[in-house]
Amino acid sequence: MNEKFERTFQSLEPIFELTESFFSQEGIDRSHLFPVSFAVEELFTNMVKYNAEGDSDILLSIEKTDGAVVVSLTDYDSESFDVTKAPAPDVDAPLADRPIGGLGLHLVRKMVDDIEYEHSGRETRITIKRRLG
Amino acid sequence: MFEAGFGEQGDVFFAGRLDAAQASKAESFLAEVEALGVIDFARLEYISSAGLGVLLKAQKRLMAGGGGLTLTNVNHHIRDVFRYSGFDQIFKIEAAD
Repeated sequence: MNEKFERTFQSLEPIFELTESFFSQEGIDRSHLFPVSFAVEELFTNMVKYNAEGDSDILLSIEKTDGAVVVSLTDYDSESFDVTKAPAPDVDAPLADRPIGGLGLHLVRKMVDDIEYEHSGRETRITIKRRLG
Repeated sequence: MFEAGFGEQGDVFFAGRLDAAQASKAESFLAEVEALGVIDFARLEYISSAGLGVLLKAQKRLMAGGGGLTLTNVNHHIRDVFRYSGFDQIFKIEAAD
């Protein structure tokens, strides 16, 4: 299933709807819906926040393959930023030392089994895989 | 959809999905609550890092005044998010059954 979405937080609701209807259509256990939706939101909102000037819509592609859900997000007008190399936050820090933000990618890594980053020309594609079962 | 309001006992509740599109709504709601202490998550289905940021900001403000947030009826997916973030060490969390 493929669909392009406008580069805005307002796209999150239709993105969640698409993800949920894909899960229903494919009969995927709903216990996987939260972590997959979470990963998609964090990666999509990063594209919105850190590449607000990007001049394209963002393509969401979701498929079920080899006992896994695989989702990729493609930004067609972007600089290189390798999300897999984002620094890990200190999740044991006391409240006073906690910055607001910086947790999203750390949490994505906890929610999915694999995350791949590709950049070529102006195109960035991030692909996540969550194994089912 | 995300909703924030007051339950029958006067406690604050969050309901629906607290995502990046809804975080500012949650933040402005919490900023107006006097004597904030408990938030009932019974009907909160989903939270992302944007929602965590709202809660962290509220917690910093409350702890500075000697208070703190207790989150009740938290579903297991949201508890996972809190555990992975280490937020289970900085908020009081009561699980849903």
